[in-house]
Amino acid sequence: MNVFMDYAAATPLDSDVLAAMQPYFAEKFYNPSSPYAPAVAVRREYDAAKSVIASIIGARSGEITMTAGATESINLAFGAGDGHVVVSNIEHQSVLSVAKRREHTLVSVDYNGRVDPVAIKRAIREDTWLVSVGLANSEIGTIQPISKIAEVIRQVRAERFAVGNATPLYLHSDASQGAGQLDLHVARLGVDMLTINAAKMYGPKQVGLLYAARSVKLQPQIVGGGQEQGLRSGTENVAGVIGMAAAFRKADAKRHGEVLRLRELRDAIQTKLCDVFPEAVISGHHKNRLAGHLHISFPGLDAERLVFGLESRNVYVATGSACAANKGTRSHVLTAIGLDDATADGSLRITLGKDTNPDAVEYAVDAITQEVHREMKRIGRV
Amino acid sequence: MTRVFVGMSGGVDSSLTAALLVEQGYDVTGVYMKNWTQDLPGLRCPWADDLADAKRVAVHLGIDFEVFDFENEYKQKVVEYMIDEYKLGRTPNPDIMCNQEVKFRLFLDTALEHGADMIATGHYARVQNRFSVTKSSETASHQVSNRAPASFETWAADVAEDSPTNARLLTAEDQNKDQTYFLYRVTGDALQKTLFPLGQYTKPEVRKMAEERGLTTASKPDSQGICFVGQIGIRDFLSEYVEQKPGDIIDKQTGVKVGTHDGAIFYTLGQRHGLDVGGGLPYYVVGKDMDKNEVYVSRDLQDDSLWRHDIRLTALHWINEAPSDGEYLIRVRHRAPLVPATLTNDVLHMTEPQRAVAAGQSIAIYDGGVCIGGGIVS
Repeated sequence: MNVFMDYAAATPLDSDVLAAMQPYFAEKFYNPSSPYAPAVAVRREYDAAKSVIASIIGARSGEITMTAGATESINLAFGAGDGHVVVSNIEHQSVLSVAKRREHTLVSVDYNGRVDPVAIKRAIREDTWLVSVGLANSEIGTIQPISKIAEVIRQVRAERFAVGNATPLYLHSDASQGAGQLDLHVARLGVDMLTINAAKMYGPKQVGLLYAARSVKLQPQIVGGGQEQGLRSGTENVAGVIGMAAAFRKADAKRHGEVLRLRELRDAIQTKLCDVFPEAVISGHHKNRLAGHLHISFPGLDAERLVFGLESRNVYVATGSACAANKGTRSHVLTAIGLDDATADGSLRITLGKDTNPDAVEYAVDAITQEVHREMKRIGRV
Repeated sequence: MTRVFVGMSGGVDSSLTAALLVEQGYDVTGVYMKNWTQDLPGLRCPWADDLADAKRVAVHLGIDFEVFDFENEYKQKVVEYMIDEYKLGRTPNPDIMCNQEVKFRLFLDTALEHGADMIATGHYARVQNRFSVTKSSETASHQVSNRAPASFETWAADVAEDSPTNARLLTAEDQNKDQTYFLYRVTGDALQKTLFPLGQYTKPEVRKMAEERGLTTASKPDSQGICFVGQIGIRDFLSEYVEQKPGDIIDKQTGVKVGTHDGAIFYTLGQRHGLDVGGGLPYYVVGKDMDKNEVYVSRDLQDDSLWRHDIRLTALHWINEAPSDGEYLIRVRHRAPLVPATLTNDVLHMTEPQRAVAAGQSIAIYDGGVCIGGGIVS
């Protein structure tokens, strides 16, 4: 049996998505900017795909810029200004790296990995133009109170208006991890900018987007032929965008049922492992956590050894923290939520997805139990 | 139980080494030596993958695994030595320096500090107690290969009492793979604490045994010597550290300039390729002048500078006591055939001349199947 439980890192392309993309490689290969009929048809289909995506998140097509994945989308969002930014201290490297290139304030999270909207408000300065908080954390799965943070942003805007401070203030959220599990409706979230990644919802890799409300003045980071309203030059990735639309539509339609199903499977793994290993530590918010997400630590063990041991049993999971190749640089997320080194180093990130079923869960729990026992025995803990 | 620390590079040889030692009942710890991690232009340094491969095998075998960080020492003792030697116009061998300074000194010492009794590596070579009754290498090797681990402690104890330098370095069973050339500068003391479990096997046997044991590295391609040099070539590597300096390529016979080069440092005696001199018979490098930055070439394959009867050695190193003058076998580079030579003080005389023996190059000296040491061509 092959058990893949690292859906937070990569998802397999859905067969319907692949079928939707297929014609656009050879048959409908035309450049959407060309003037003749077959190319114009491709242009229409490309625009229709963008409309599908826009409607799922409650946006207009013109507010969406397609990018080569989430990282580029984040760079485009942060490129809209150059002043002070506020981000949480558990953001993905793609957000932290771009934030650290300008004046920034890191807001600490609590031990569940939750950002306090009040702390965000406190961190906002007169010259802050951007607040960026990821919708759900990729390591521990904690879901942030984005709409509450949006309220805070609105308050600050009102205060600025009252005192005549004309500096705009935007809320950006990286929703890469939320697709297919969370509501990404931009008005309900209250965001001004949103990053979405096709690769995390059974769509193609290197396809993503940035939603930006019309009030946001984006600055192109890649210039050239002026595609995507001049915000992202380069011939359109037609197949990729068609694929993202197909993937997003399917994921969104199945979202409610899938969340319940994944939560049940995730809870089964969590319960079984915690029964056998009472010392195991579960990280992430107990309730506000991605349904398919389990971050579990076996204090004192070397998670990378567990990953290799599980690999030999055809069970694929992620280490929740460091590997031997970057010893000394532990996960900033685990440090931020206060995990000690011994616990952090023994962390596995188990993320479930569409092919996870009760058999896979049983097989994985058994394999993890055996590998953890084997490692405990080796270091003389049993 | 004897504690052995095995240097695991993530390759098939060291993987099987660890597996065999586990089977022989040793208490084994795998160690990845982190020596070099820098990417070079056009080459991603594969160290993190190699480390993961080594650790994967360690997990498979259920043994402890550690990373020893020797990056600074390696840079100092091996890379800088190598660059300095090239700057002096010589042709050094970094693998030999790595064995002398890093694997059989630093690694050994660090392993002993961490509680090891011995170290092991995946070299194709054998170690023999010199007080074994016979001098015939064949019989001796037979004894070594059949030495049961249980009797090891007594063996080691006997040896330790008798002499400070008491282990001999024997060539590998697989003469094609023999790596004693790279090991001639290791000390007898170090060898006494070293196991080479692969010395009695051929490379195909090693791959087969690794596969039978389900080692994930069984079919991993061999790396050649120092990884970065093997992958991008010494020329590109040196280019990172020394500036290009145009100079003349001069035909030694006619004294006429036949081309230009970008630095005499990049040329080695006997080299044919990489000379930007077109047309006719190939030229060979027969000499160079580092001060004038001139490279001398010849079309004459029999040019005197290319063939040497006598070699004066410096930095002589003997694994055990210095040998008396007399007839020995020598190897002028890895995998070169063993050829007879007469040793008189620090000079080797060969009846058959050897081609392209460059200053800085190492010569390993053998007494029958025993590598007794060697020196560096002056």
